[in-house]
Amino acid sequence: MDADMQWTPYLERMKELIDPLRPDPIREWQGTSLASAREFSRGRAQGGFGAWRADKLEKIGIGSFVHAGNRHFAFCAVISGETYDLPLFLSRLEEGPHQVILLVDIIPVVDSLIDENYRKKYIESVQPLWDRFAALPGICPEESDVIRSLTSIVYTAARVPIDNEGMRLAALAPHTEYLKSYLAFLPEAAPVADAAKKQEFSVKRAALRKTLSAHFFKEVLPGPVRESLGNDMIELLNHVCF
Amino acid sequence: MAKVAWNDMTAFARVIVEDYKLFEGLDLVPLETYEGMDTRPAWEFKAPMATGFYKPYILRGSDRVEKITVGELHYMGRARYCALNMTASDAYDLPIYACEFDETAPRVGVTVDLMPVVDMGRHEEYRQKYYRDLAPLWRKYRTIAGFTSEGRCLVQRRYGPWPWARESLSPFSLDGRVEEKEDRAKLMEAVVAYARVWLELLKRAEPMRDEDYRREVLRRKKKLQQYYRDLDPGGEVLKKIFGEGRHRLFVSLVF
Repeated sequence: MDADMQWTPYLERMKELIDPLRPDPIREWQGTSLASAREFSRGRAQGGFGAWRADKLEKIGIGSFVHAGNRHFAFCAVISGETYDLPLFLSRLEEGPHQVILLVDIIPVVDSLIDENYRKKYIESVQPLWDRFAALPGICPEESDVIRSLTSIVYTAARVPIDNEGMRLAALAPHTEYLKSYLAFLPEAAPVADAAKKQEFSVKRAALRKTLSAHFFKEVLPGPVRESLGNDMIELLNHVCF
Repeated sequence: MAKVAWNDMTAFARVIVEDYKLFEGLDLVPLETYEGMDTRPAWEFKAPMATGFYKPYILRGSDRVEKITVGELHYMGRARYCALNMTASDAYDLPIYACEFDETAPRVGVTVDLMPVVDMGRHEEYRQKYYRDLAPLWRKYRTIAGFTSEGRCLVQRRYGPWPWARESLSPFSLDGRVEEKEDRAKLMEAVVAYARVWLELLKRAEPMRDEDYRREVLRRKKKLQQYYRDLDPGGEVLKKIFGEGRHRLFVSLVF
């Protein structure tokens, strides 16, 4: 790839949406310092990740890196606070010269087949975006079986062919639009009083985090990229994001 | 797009039972009563607008099967609404095998899936237990034209207008509209391949031991059945044919 290549401005655009929340940095997660994820150069991978907390949100993990100068990876995960019924937000982008691979979703913390009110509030309200991005070139199911098993009915995944540079921004739009929808839930979100419901959210949230920590980066990062990062950095990214 | 003449449409039940011999080696016996309803009126029916059959079975000497239904409804010489449903009894957490195969001259609207009876986001182990053998089949058959369009794979898009129906699907569902005659035949291969996976899972199935888990499974299973019986647009066709109330037997056998 050309050294002057302009990657999709994922990080900038996503941060622009998050900044108004006035998030506080998280420097340590479960006894592990996140400092070495902030800016790293590992093998052929250079980039940086950070975690923040904000009102009603336990964690916002976001970052990106470039591998071997020809592949750009970017991620964002938002985990809601324990006392809220808010879903999880998950987004990933993998960009090369000719294609952008993407996944973005708003994942319920209940069984949304059973809980119709929750589905209407948090999932069906995002359906217009799901319908809109169905027309995105390269739309396809998420390839990872593990990740697809976690996704909601409104996830958008695609392998967008880059026929012209405008397509990079087209591939970015689902991330920013889904994030806007997610952030729009925040003002109305109130602590849940019902103990049984809280327990249900907590169990599902914990299950999602466990599966994502165990599988997400292993599933979405190609072998040579994982090799460059090393297991310790992948573990650190899990701490940052999940 | 090639239109398929009525007489050339898929003989769904015959293809499954006779051509593919799906149930060979299984001792199927007719299920005469289901949820308090006499099922015999559905075994063969003739109504002003439709003829057909929905035949429910159980396995002789086994407590594992709630019902295995295979059926076809031929509507005014224009459409064949075909179904295969295999549901395990309440003691087991097996997914529900569900296939809807609706054929008209221009296309087949099809859904085939092993629908999970748990929230897979909460139970990651369920995927490993029941979907390992289905994953390669999903990758193989999702390339059938109709699941893809202009190079885009649209698996899981046919149910777009019905969020409850999309919620019911597993991450391995095949769901789309298939047009060409040879692709319709390929679909039957997929329908049977998925069914064989379910029958293999049934052989190895162990009853649920944990009472909390069992309650969780049954809650979702009953919700799935309620959704399909109450809200499936196909139910409206059955109401029209058999009348409000009488249609209940048919929707309950199909799902």
